[in-house]
Amino acid sequence: MPKALAVLVLAGVPLVAAAAPDAFTIDPFHSSVLFAIDHLGLSTVHGRFDKFAGKFSLDRAAKKGEVELTIDTASVDTNDNDKGSRQRSRDEHLRSADFFNAAEFPKMTYKSTNVVFSGDNPTTIEGNLTLLGVTKPVTIKLERFKCSAATATAKERCGGDGTGKVKRSDFGMSRGIPQIGDELVLTVSFEANKD
Amino acid sequence: MRRAAGEPPPAAVNALLDHPAVQGGAAPLVVALMVAAIFARTRFAWIAILAAYATMVALTTGFAFSPLTAGRKTILVGLVAPIIGLVLDLLPRTSKTVVSAACVAAGAVSVWVFMSILHQRDGMAAVAMGVGIALFVAILVGLTLRLRGDGLRAGAVGLGLGLATGISGLLSASIGYLLAGVSIAAGSGAMLLTQVLLSRNITAGLLGTLTVGILAALFAVGSVLLAELHWYALPLLLLVPLAVMLRAPERAPLIVRAAVLVAYALVAAALPILVVWFAPHG
Repeated sequence: MPKALAVLVLAGVPLVAAAAPDAFTIDPFHSSVLFAIDHLGLSTVHGRFDKFAGKFSLDRAAKKGEVELTIDTASVDTNDNDKGSRQRSRDEHLRSADFFNAAEFPKMTYKSTNVVFSGDNPTTIEGNLTLLGVTKPVTIKLERFKCSAATATAKERCGGDGTGKVKRSDFGMSRGIPQIGDELVLTVSFEANKD
Repeated sequence: MRRAAGEPPPAAVNALLDHPAVQGGAAPLVVALMVAAIFARTRFAWIAILAAYATMVALTTGFAFSPLTAGRKTILVGLVAPIIGLVLDLLPRTSKTVVSAACVAAGAVSVWVFMSILHQRDGMAAVAMGVGIALFVAILVGLTLRLRGDGLRAGAVGLGLGLATGISGLLSASIGYLLAGVSIAAGSGAMLLTQVLLSRNITAGLLGTLTVGILAALFAVGSVLLAELHWYALPLLLLVPLAVMLRAPERAPLIVRAAVLVAYALVAAALPILVVWFAPHG
């Protein structure tokens, strides 16, 4: 009887191991967090956040996942950080209380509440964005999600591209509307190594 | 053609109300003049400063108070300060103790306003910053309160401090503080104009000077902590109320006295603006 019990326990181990979600840490050197916003109805201004950190977990069997992304608001970069002879640069203005208020809210976070799968891959991430102390739901649609299998020398690596739309006035960032658009298109391109 | 009830205003009106010059200057000035005209012969005339500031807030950020950021706390203080000032003015005698207490309270309130930023500093750095903020606010409020008995001096200091903090705020990457400062200047300008037109000095009391002093101080500190204003502009702002305390031709017509006091205020206000303008870049 003890032998049969031992066999049963050992047979169950792979099942238990397979049920644990796969955890990934975003590689900041091969990832980017970008945004685009309308300016005066004439053109789109593109920017990015240079400093961020994130992780996600996927349970393909249960079709569940979790995503967490933390962005340094002071790292906002629209390619205009050198004021030269001007009194201020655009990036300085964006860091001020008029926009991202980086001194008071140094972090912007995104935490998923639900991950929608198609087959083994996630296609949509539903979650909450916290910006300027306000938390609102934001959905990120994954245009691409792909993983490369682990090898003898490298762990499994996953990557993809996702976009989401954010209405900045929902978060209390209403300076400059409508001259500067209310809607921000957020694009996250990422690669992550399995932990 | 009349608009139906609930119909949005024409696009041209919206465009006008969206313009910073209207939001921070013209609209607050007009509203302050109307309020000053209505209450000119009462002790409530200086509520015009609150009216100017509230107009700017209504046209820009609105009166949302959640979450309670430093900016929203400043708005709250701006709405409450005139009420406290009015209550203190109603006391039989505004003693030095009451004035001193108001200064200390202003300093303490400023620490509360900027607590979210102080929390991010380590121990002694946070304490030092908090003490510095409280001291600056208390001193600026104290100097402004000394002008409470003279409506022309109070108007001049409001004009000077409003322009100094507003323009310094703009030069420090904040349109928000530009509009805020200019609205105080507009309200103070309205009170100066009202006094000149009526040929009457309207005592500002704590109602007027506490509002001007504490708001200007909070705008300045906010520009340092939340924008790019260099800290050394703050002590230079103290020169504005000091300049307005200089002698003015007492026997001259009101308009001449007002002009002289405004000139003192503007010259003093130019100093912090110039320091910010020529501050080292990067």
